[in-house]
Amino acid sequence: MHFPGMIGVLLLGSFLSVGPTVRIASVHRFAIFLLPAGPPTPQWANLPLANTPRTADGKPNLTAPAARTADGKPDLSGVWRVATGKYLQNIAADVGEAPFQPAAAAVYKQRADALGKGRPSERCIPHGIPDAMLVRNSPFKIVQTPGVVVILYEEFNHYRQIFTDGRGFPPETSPSWFGYSIGKWEGDTLVVDTIGFNDQSWLDDPGHPHSEALRVTERFKRADFGHMNVQITFDDPKAYTKPWSAAIPFDLFADTELIESICENERDHGHMVGK
Amino acid sequence: MNSIAAAIAILLTQWVDVPLPNTPRTPDGKPNLTAPAPKTPDGRPDLTGIWRNPDGRYLNNVAVDGVQVPFQPWAAALYKERQENFSKDRPSGRCLPHGVPDAMLVPATPFKIIQTPPVTLILFENQGRYRQVFTDGRGLPGDAQPTWLGYSIGKWDGDSFVVDTIGFNDQTYLDDGGHPHSDAYHAVERFRRHDFGHMDMEITIDDPKAYTKPWSVTIHFVLFPDNELMESVCENEQDAKHMVGK
Repeated sequence: MHFPGMIGVLLLGSFLSVGPTVRIASVHRFAIFLLPAGPPTPQWANLPLANTPRTADGKPNLTAPAARTADGKPDLSGVWRVATGKYLQNIAADVGEAPFQPAAAAVYKQRADALGKGRPSERCIPHGIPDAMLVRNSPFKIVQTPGVVVILYEEFNHYRQIFTDGRGFPPETSPSWFGYSIGKWEGDTLVVDTIGFNDQSWLDDPGHPHSEALRVTERFKRADFGHMNVQITFDDPKAYTKPWSAAIPFDLFADTELIESICENERDHGHMVGK
Repeated sequence: MNSIAAAIAILLTQWVDVPLPNTPRTPDGKPNLTAPAPKTPDGRPDLTGIWRNPDGRYLNNVAVDGVQVPFQPWAAALYKERQENFSKDRPSGRCLPHGVPDAMLVPATPFKIIQTPPVTLILFENQGRYRQVFTDGRGLPGDAQPTWLGYSIGKWDGDSFVVDTIGFNDQTYLDDGGHPHSDAYHAVERFRRHDFGHMDMEITIDDPKAYTKPWSVTIHFVLFPDNELMESVCENEQDAKHMVGK
């Protein structure tokens, strides 16, 4: 999409309607974004992938059974993107309002009042968990292997490892953006526990905050070839009075591949508008 | 990262000790780095593991082993300029990606190979970025967008994993010293794991706009056993103010 000379004020919702194969480079979301004339937008390749079940007309059959690995576990591998923009706008959408501690409520109000200006991704530092998975225009790829499940984010070319080789958490974790994740299977559900977060990332774009005490439990369940649900529970007694959850649907983004999306160092920072 | 910053990072960084299963060990329990290389179920060498070039020999000059680099005149001039200003403008100073092979040359930041049938991942500790090498039979795209890390496909040639990469922008440096390349850069990397603890990569740099003929160097990597990558996010010009140059 190319808008020669156009400077407009757009909200995220308008980006989400542009269609499945077009995205705006370096979109900053939620906060109002002034769109300058920019280069043509990259397009995801149409890449018919092997091992994709197909309907009679050759299209990917998204309701075919989920694939399984050699050891019989569901195989979560694939390129995925969130089915709805609702959770990017409010990760607490399922619970109405997050059970804030008072200090966290104040931080959230301040961020929401500023239209999310100041969030880390503005400065090209990572989106958090689950924020990095919530952007429909930025798919992610799961590569599942016996000892580790890797999540490759298109956005910023970052990755996350979920260790499934039986290790526990390290005795000490340095505070980090993506935390330290271990996973185990409960039936057909991959249950991922993550600790070791810093307190800088935001749970969503408006800015649900968390502390270093955050523990995230994600339950990944691939319902069929084209659909996956992730129930995410946030347990952070410093920021919230009790654990709370969101159940987020994801769609397979079939016959395509991630494209490189490097955040080029505050290139867009000057276009951010907020209070 | 220049060599001084790398040295600081070595001092500051503490990797965890994670005794990994499937690691061959000597009687005293230490990883046996000269045990045979592991194989995948289909009989290929398995490159999976955490690797680094421990002495940093190639970081500042990938041609350090005596290769006569066949510069085109403009590339020679640009390299001279970068040498004279200590590469102060290199992209990593602004938290932009290291290139190929530069991202694999920093001893303080290892990389992890995860080999699966359809794709081999290279996870860089440095800046927390990744490369995918597709082995599902796809070809190179006809209209690859210019990118920092390129578009890579791999195939096996005997026990060597041969990776073809195109689609680079002209921004990355081949090494921290600043060997340049153009957007015509085509990299061919031949990875060969000799035993459990040792892997070589011969890289051929084919870029007729920047060099008069293809040239090659071989880089030696050593397994970094019983360990795990750490998160290393480049925080936006945090270090730019510390860069020294002319």
